[in-house]
Amino acid sequence: MSSEPSETGKAGIIVAPDDAPPMDKLTHAVLDDLLYNIVHDLLVKVHRDEKIARANTAAIKVEKLAKSTSDGATTDPKPDVEIETDAAIYKDGKVTLKGNPLKSTKEILCPRCHLPRLVHPTDGKGAKKPDPGVIYCKKHPYIQKPGYDIYGQTWVAPGPGRGKKKKDQKLDPNDPSSPAPGAEGSAKDRPANVLSYPSATCPKCKRCILVTRLNNHMGSCIGNNGRNASRAAAQKISNGSNAGSQNNDNTPPGSQKGTPRPGSRAGSPRKRDVDEFDEDVEESDQANPKKKKKTKANALTKKVILKAKSPATNIKKEKAKASSNLNVEQKMDDDAKDSTVEVAPKKQTPKPKGVSPAKKIKLGPAKAQLPSPAGKKGKRDRDMESESSETLSSPPPR
Amino acid sequence: MAARPATPASPKNHKVRAPQPGQPMYGCEHLQRLFNQDQATTNTSIQHYKAILRSIFDTTPLIPQTAKAIDGQIVTSLTPTYLCLQCPSTLTEDDRTKHGSKKSHRFYVDSRSGALYCQMCDDIVWDPTFEELRLKKIGTGTFSTRKRKHEELFETSDPVRDNPTYISSNTTAASCKSSGLRGIYNAGATCYQNVVLQSFLHNPILRNFYLSDGHASSSCTVQYCLSCAMDDMFQDFYALENTNGYTAANILSGFWFSGKRAFDVLATTNEQDAHEFFQFLAEELHERNGDGKKPESGSEHSCHCIIHQTFYGKLQTTTTCQNCSGVTNQVQSFLDLSLPLENLGHKKGKKGGASRGALTLQECLDEEYIKSDKCEYRCHNCSSMQQARRQTTIKRLPNVLSIQLKRFEYKQGRHERAAKIDTPVRFPLELNMLPYTNRGRGSGGSSQDANKENYELARSCTYDLLSAVVHVGEIDSGHYVSYCRVGDQWFAFNDHKVELAQKSDVLNSKAYLLFYVVRSLS
Ligand SMILES: [Zn+2]
Ligand SMILES: [Zn+2]
Ligand SMILES: [Zn+2]
Ligand SMILES: [Zn+2]
Ligand SMILES: [Zn+2]
Ligand SMILES: [Zn+2]
Ligand SMILES: [Zn+2]
Repeated sequence: MSSEPSETGKAGIIVAPDDAPPMDKLTHAVLDDLLYNIVHDLLVKVHRDEKIARANTAAIKVEKLAKSTSDGATTDPKPDVEIETDAAIYKDGKVTLKGNPLKSTKEILCPRCHLPRLVHPTDGKGAKKPDPGVIYCKKHPYIQKPGYDIYGQTWVAPGPGRGKKKKDQKLDPNDPSSPAPGAEGSAKDRPANVLSYPSATCPKCKRCILVTRLNNHMGSCIGNNGRNASRAAAQKISNGSNAGSQNNDNTPPGSQKGTPRPGSRAGSPRKRDVDEFDEDVEESDQANPKKKKKTKANALTKKVILKAKSPATNIKKEKAKASSNLNVEQKMDDDAKDSTVEVAPKKQTPKPKGVSPAKKIKLGPAKAQLPSPAGKKGKRDRDMESESSETLSSPPPR
Repeated sequence: MAARPATPASPKNHKVRAPQPGQPMYGCEHLQRLFNQDQATTNTSIQHYKAILRSIFDTTPLIPQTAKAIDGQIVTSLTPTYLCLQCPSTLTEDDRTKHGSKKSHRFYVDSRSGALYCQMCDDIVWDPTFEELRLKKIGTGTFSTRKRKHEELFETSDPVRDNPTYISSNTTAASCKSSGLRGIYNAGATCYQNVVLQSFLHNPILRNFYLSDGHASSSCTVQYCLSCAMDDMFQDFYALENTNGYTAANILSGFWFSGKRAFDVLATTNEQDAHEFFQFLAEELHERNGDGKKPESGSEHSCHCIIHQTFYGKLQTTTTCQNCSGVTNQVQSFLDLSLPLENLGHKKGKKGGASRGALTLQECLDEEYIKSDKCEYRCHNCSSMQQARRQTTIKRLPNVLSIQLKRFEYKQGRHERAAKIDTPVRFPLELNMLPYTNRGRGSGGSSQDANKENYELARSCTYDLLSAVVHVGEIDSGHYVSYCRVGDQWFAFNDHKVELAQKSDVLNSKAYLLFYVVRSLS
């Protein structure tokens, strides 16, 4: 487009033949310029990310050096020293660059943890073996590998909702001839990146349900003439009897067909009775004093959302506990047999200042309502049995 | 050049951005020297940079793309030109060096991106002071944090926009590993819930709300509160290092314990409609966080809860009597725009042979919010039934625009399953909503001011695609998947599985729900 007698645009890639009419030449030139612009915009974007990351790395390094030279134990964020590296100068608490960080700085440090960033994925497309002697930042490049997710994980059996036919599922929990997902033995041989489906606890009947059947279970347990069903279920559990405990649950959990039979949850959910909440109300009352104790964060302070690994730190109100209990992820494998329940880390609420021991003790009885690990194990086993026996009697449609 | 009049010296002194830990103070040694000369140099440099950004982003590209060559020839080019930071010259890349050696001017602004080029480094430099200005210009369109133009198109007092902490993307996460990218296990035909949950999880406004304890779940006493369940879910996604799938048991029990209208539809008919679930979740979260009133569809409901701040906009329907030309205006709130496909697809099918049935999102929007239709209505002036012309436009745009492409047709009642419309609808990554607003309708004029005004208007109405929900397969045996964008990267969510996605994957999908976020927020 420039008035110079150039053959085509700035990229010089889309060139019209010499004998092309002027209009053709112009079109080629315009297209060529547009191609140049696309590449230009892309380069500017990549350049920005890369150069800023390297410049910041240079700053992080020189700041670290400044801190360590100025008497290691100092807490002063701006130590009064002068330090110079190949890439940057630290002086008067300010960092200035020396030269172009794209040339002077080779690696990229994470601005958060100050560890080097892994540049290549560890698996799949474009993978490179990371240096085993280096501790890298935990943020890795995402993995692109068929059959695996961005973290390089895969799952023991094709789960529901993945567009696969039931018969394709190697491990069908409904098929007695195939082992249940994560059944004994398989966990040991399983690589760390092969995950199994977790279970969760129904807040109503407190039974531990495999995630893939959670919706059907809740539909009948909570949605369908809730109170009676749950009482009946609770009674059966306490009696140690399991026969027919899930009669309503006749939709195969493995089905992603999205069509649970209407019959399984016929009752109108609106007909739920208020007093079906009885037991739960009690719980939340117990939790109330604790609730008030909790420091109320300012609505706009970013709460740093660490969750501790131990359930003991869960000092959230009882209501939430009952429901976060749902997050109990159980591996139905050997470990689980030994009644090890893997508890999803809980939200570490800012510890209320000065919770008196007395208050803490109050948590005791509430906690006791949660099933003990042993109880859970027993219950889960019963669930497994009952569900498989049930599916034996009523084969899944299709 | 006329496009860049010398900015009248403001009495205010411009400041270089204060040094931040882990960041150099200047983009390069040469800028360091420039900023350390004297206050006057700093002032003019920053003023010039602002003026250049205005001419790049607020006017027609013709002005910054037109350079004057050394020999006096005027050249307009498609490819980037360079605007001198130290004088009002615009140069081609070739002339940049000559200008530099002649005038000792060393800094130039790239006319496409607004990025600063340092001739001594022979590289683009990313200076914290200049870069902050550039990002503000690209984002909100203004250098000040408070003033916002065209307020009538958005909420006048909008905490989401007015409070920078809502917009800031540097939400404190607990670990370098926790990125908010996790799948959600299918709990048995719950993929229609999972896709909506993922689009909420990657909605910057909702994310910042929940991660800043916007729903004080610790003091919430509602049993099986879905907003508390959302809070838990956001915590688990952004605070834990867990990369395993998420078990949305709290959400699911909240769902089964609920008694909403949408819930009845979903639960009693076993319908797997992601749109119904979106409405259900929005209503439920509004009630947990808002004024407690049921959001009546059709009425003008003003609420300041997070859901209203995020999704709700207002439509204005103007009915003009064909007899007396009397005008009636009716305003109503909307949670989403529902766009019918069937009639349009047929119309198109008849017209064009080759592109049979293929539609664009803009055509669907044109049909609803630009074209008018005829109707009968009872006119007050005429005191009788009259023919009238009815037109609907958007009076207030939401921060996150949700669009439903009506792919499911229910012919007789809910229980008669009808067809799924598989017509491909092309949708853009970047959507200009100005034509569908009542401001966009009225604007016109050719004066320079009107032109500039339109540029700014159009920019304030620019939306970027945030997520797309796709239904694959048959109507009653299909499956939902979704795409969400995190920064510039797209991800494909299929229940517990998260994979990288290309833009082309997203754009070629037959979307059912689309979520766009207004650019000035992202
Ligand atoms: Zn890190
Ligand atoms: Zn239950
Ligand atoms: Zn100059
Ligand atoms: Zn330089
Ligand atoms: Zn709540
Ligand atoms: Zn509201
Ligand atoms: Zn009239």
